[in-house]
Amino acid sequence: MISDQLIIDRGVSAGDEWITVPAESVHEALAALRSDGYRLLTFLTCVDHLADHSREWPFRFEIVYQLRNLETREQLRVRTFIDGDPPRIDSVHDLFPPANWDERETYDLFGVVFNDHPDLSRILMPDDWVGHPLRRDYPVGGETVEFSEEHERWQTAPDEA
Amino acid sequence: MSTPEGVTIVKTGEKGHFGGEILTVNFGPHHPSTHGVLRLIVDLDGEMIRGIKPVIGYLHTGIEKQMEALRWQQGVVVTDRHDYLSPPINNLAYALAVERLMGVEVPPRADALRVIMSELTRLSSHLVWMGTSGLELGAMSMLMYCFRERDTILDMNEEISGFRMHTSYIRPGGVFADATPRFLEMLDKFIGEMPGHIDEYEDLLTMNPIWRARTIGIGRLSPEDAKVLGATGPMLRGSGVAWDLRKTMPYSGYENYDFEVATSNDCDCYGRYLVRIREMREAVKILRQALDRLPDGPVNVDDRKMLPPPREELETSMEAVIHHFKLFTEGYSVPAGDVYVAVESGRGENGCYIVSDGTHKPRRVKFRAASFANLQALERMALNHMVADMIAIIGTADTVLGDVDR
Repeated sequence: MISDQLIIDRGVSAGDEWITVPAESVHEALAALRSDGYRLLTFLTCVDHLADHSREWPFRFEIVYQLRNLETREQLRVRTFIDGDPPRIDSVHDLFPPANWDERETYDLFGVVFNDHPDLSRILMPDDWVGHPLRRDYPVGGETVEFSEEHERWQTAPDEA
Repeated sequence: MSTPEGVTIVKTGEKGHFGGEILTVNFGPHHPSTHGVLRLIVDLDGEMIRGIKPVIGYLHTGIEKQMEALRWQQGVVVTDRHDYLSPPINNLAYALAVERLMGVEVPPRADALRVIMSELTRLSSHLVWMGTSGLELGAMSMLMYCFRERDTILDMNEEISGFRMHTSYIRPGGVFADATPRFLEMLDKFIGEMPGHIDEYEDLLTMNPIWRARTIGIGRLSPEDAKVLGATGPMLRGSGVAWDLRKTMPYSGYENYDFEVATSNDCDCYGRYLVRIREMREAVKILRQALDRLPDGPVNVDDRKMLPPPREELETSMEAVIHHFKLFTEGYSVPAGDVYVAVESGRGENGCYIVSDGTHKPRRVKFRAASFANLQALERMALNHMVADMIAIIGTADTVLGDVDR
């Protein structure tokens, strides 16, 4: 059973149940939920709340775990907030095998470091890539267009082109 | 991931069980049997696979990043392109997620058309799978037979949406346009012919000795492993777990259709093949019911803040002109919140997680790709098999690399 002390906040968003847990005890909370029957981690990802004034956010990065109980068909979203440079959080690959690649993807695209991950390397971007593209301060179209002779014109504002 | 019982992991240069050294070789990414650009680093002991590491990302197009730069209604076009063999189902996941956030319910006719398009797509996706897998495992003619029917489906896509592959047909708030009478005629003819065609595929494969030798007992995945590894779709059902989102968590009115969840207790490549064949038969059944019971009425929500007004109204109503202008310059805003919607595609659970900050563009869109999770089970399935069996295993996992890399 997950103890109530681990749950900071709970609610329902558009019909989906969610709970918030402290980042330092995310492994403990997910282990408890797993023994409660939430055996499947549907996905794990990160949301960057940089300059989002629609709501109050404790920290910039939100890590989201979508869990499912295959017997009762219940779903639960576990949220936790982290900050820092780089932001760090414990890996849960030992609890949920699919987390292995999902954590690599989150590291690759958001720069979140997962402690104790067996192979924390880039998965989608090339190994020598600089930066983490899904962060909100990483511009769209900021990279040079490879193999295009006119790439400078592509990068210029419309009125100068 | 723990190693299956009875398997000892050996490293390059170590002595293998057959007297030779373990050899690490690169497979792909431009190998035709990898269904796209999948690279595998394989440790070989003779011809036996002792270690396998998929390297992905060759088809990464930054779809999730692009979605953040597009308005809500523009994003549909991008969703078509991640799992490029089942665009309408990708559209559906996105559309349902946006609708859930906005609290919008689409009319019954739109739901029925969505089901029709989803099932047609499932058929065409399974046809591509069967054609290419047959090709890889020596049943060359499968490709010709399967693509013949797939082309009929693409013709229907063209008739209903104007596009053959990337239809963008299902949109938040409804569908692009009502079905034309010609589309319904084509569909009726197709439903009549398809069961015969499926019999034909079965004649070619089900008892085919080569096909059976190449798939039976190959790539075993136990039900427990399949569940824990997050495998979904025919991979999960091929391991005997009756989990189909259309039944277990129905959407778009799937609860009103009479169909069965195809499963197989074989837990191997042949089991996955049987599941897909049965799923095609069930899809035809659903199509027949949907066509017979197609309700009348509008195909879009009647909400001028979300969808543009009809053309006639623009000539008589100033309000309509204003709405039209606002929608095509600024778009609509979606209330702040987050939602996860999952639908069943030909490959498994195709989910869309959306975070809105209340503006006219999404804050974050995450696609839960079925192929991404299914590909992680590859190591579990392929260890201690021959190199040639690996082709069968990748084939029946039916990964679409566009879906894996997004």
